[in-house]
Amino acid sequence: MKPVGNWFTSRLSRCLLITLLVPLGLLPVAPRMASAQAGAPIPVGAVVSLTGPGAGLGQAERNGILLAEKTINAKGGIKGRPIKVFIEDDGSKPDIAKSKAENLIFNEKVRAIVGPSLTASTGAVSAVTNARGLPQIAMTGLGPQIELSYKSLFHVLPPQALNARAMLEYTTKALGAKKIGVLHDSGYGQLVMNALKGSAGAYGVQFVSVEKFEVGATDVSTQAAKVRASNPEVVFVIATSPTPFRNARQIRIAQPIVSAIGSSAYEYVRGMGEFAHDIVFPEFIVGEDPLPHQAEFVELYRASYGAPPKNYEAAGWDAVHIVARALEKAGPDASPAALAAAMREPYRGVLASYNFAAPDMTGIDLSSYVYSKLVNGKFTRLQFATK
Amino acid sequence: MSGTLLLQSSLVGLTNGFVYALIGLGIAVVFRGTRIINAMQGEFSLVGGLFAFLVLERLGLPMFVAFPLGVLVGAGLGFVIERVFVRPARRRGASEESYLLLTLGLAFAISAAVLYFFGRDSIALAGIGGEGSVVFFDAALRVHAIWLIVISCAVMVLLKLFYARTLIGQSIVAASLDEAGAATVGINVPLMHSLTFLLGGLVGGLAGVLVSPMIAVHYEMGLLLTLKGFAAAILGGLANPFGAIVGGITIGLIESLAVLTVSSGYKDVIAMAILIVIMILMPHGMLGYGRRKGG
Repeated sequence: MKPVGNWFTSRLSRCLLITLLVPLGLLPVAPRMASAQAGAPIPVGAVVSLTGPGAGLGQAERNGILLAEKTINAKGGIKGRPIKVFIEDDGSKPDIAKSKAENLIFNEKVRAIVGPSLTASTGAVSAVTNARGLPQIAMTGLGPQIELSYKSLFHVLPPQALNARAMLEYTTKALGAKKIGVLHDSGYGQLVMNALKGSAGAYGVQFVSVEKFEVGATDVSTQAAKVRASNPEVVFVIATSPTPFRNARQIRIAQPIVSAIGSSAYEYVRGMGEFAHDIVFPEFIVGEDPLPHQAEFVELYRASYGAPPKNYEAAGWDAVHIVARALEKAGPDASPAALAAAMREPYRGVLASYNFAAPDMTGIDLSSYVYSKLVNGKFTRLQFATK
Repeated sequence: MSGTLLLQSSLVGLTNGFVYALIGLGIAVVFRGTRIINAMQGEFSLVGGLFAFLVLERLGLPMFVAFPLGVLVGAGLGFVIERVFVRPARRRGASEESYLLLTLGLAFAISAAVLYFFGRDSIALAGIGGEGSVVFFDAALRVHAIWLIVISCAVMVLLKLFYARTLIGQSIVAASLDEAGAATVGINVPLMHSLTFLLGGLVGGLAGVLVSPMIAVHYEMGLLLTLKGFAAAILGGLANPFGAIVGGITIGLIESLAVLTVSSGYKDVIAMAILIVIMILMPHGMLGYGRRKGG
């Protein structure tokens, strides 16, 4: 005869086990059932840097992503189904980006991933998306060469080599300068500098002084003084901070300053104070004077956020629209491979004209660049264009 | 290397040195009065500089109103920090490490609060004399930098006189050196500690309004300043306010000349290597003699 206590505890354990396991067993089934219903949202993942050193990019990208989601859904969504973008913050760290992407893929069952904001994080996330063939629209330029072998990874920003060429195009063709002084930081600035060195020979330019400083430096006046002393015809200032721009002018560098797309942000311009003047940026969108195909986005952005957008907001907008267009073309329930295949073609975005079938999975060329100049703290679009 | 470049680098180093010195001065003031290493000294500057900006730009009040208000807010913050956080910790017998952790935590909290309420933007604060510069032999020095140097020197002298000649100054030092002895002769020790933090906040707020036009107000500025100010105070002799000035100028000049003579990339390596040598040779700091005398 079984003891009553044992019988009772055994029944209780079984009941508890069933109570716990049944919902767990149903969990993976529930989203599949929901997604099959007409009108159920189509989940899309986004991993961006909302905190940490990359927050200046990620927060701008988030604004563009949210506006795109709102606009697409207001227009009826994808074949009658709205999209739902799940946004995750990677804290500007590749390991966190990877785990956030895994969460989006395995728990939220997203159809594609937008982001991340930083090259290192893109590498981490693309290893996960590539293994499953899941489409990923990175808001970075092409990173390590291995990315060229990935079939479902696309980029909405150009590689640094193209940014460097855009700077040299303006310097040599608009300014006619060959002697260049460079003041750059050890992060973003170093990446662009490496690319500049690779293109210097093709443009026949000479770097008469190259001064580097650490990211977050509070004063780089001595470095600026060294650049000034080398008598360059033009000075490149490449940094994610307003400090070198201020110091360059404070130290009386009177030569034209040309910068890079990553330095073109309102937060830096505000920090430059009265020195936010006579600085040229090769970029893609000038919110104060947009190109005709950018006007709708700029107007919507202004209406939503009360300020004009810049490049990274447009990158977020384009990334979500690229996913939406592929969903529209291949169908909301298409396989990841079919979805990625639907993306592999030219696309005219707000930021640039892409060709995702190109070898660099971006297809952006110099003709997508526009040039802006800071005039008394305001971006003004220049007429200069690359051929 | 041209003479102009050498002069320019020296002027830059001197200016940066006084920036570090002002922060170090505040750290030395708090340490002298409480024996606490205040890891949030830079946050007094952040809050002071930010408040001055708000008064100047948002309320449209003139600089001679905005800057003193920024200094007073720094002082008020110092007083509040002592009363709300430091005093309860002291009552529970907190150790030196606890205070370091406490002030470090507060530094992160204030930085995060500034990020939350004011965002990531760098804010350019107008300087005294605007962006005007004085040119010596083709090397430029901002008018504001001259004011920063003059005011820093004046603050150092005033602090020297305050500790040496005033009853409150001497009471602060006494309360710091021997709490029980000071209490026996009728000194209100807790009040002296509050006044010490108020004074530290005052110097921090002053540093904030003077430094912000040089480096722009930013939510991360506090910790960056504290690190350099701490190095300046240690190098000069932590208990001697005059030492912070000497330490700050030394670091500023070494950094600047390292950039000039070697490479920008090795600036910190060279500066810190020289500091290590100095600290090995003079473990109490360059002006540590005064500390050993008890003052």
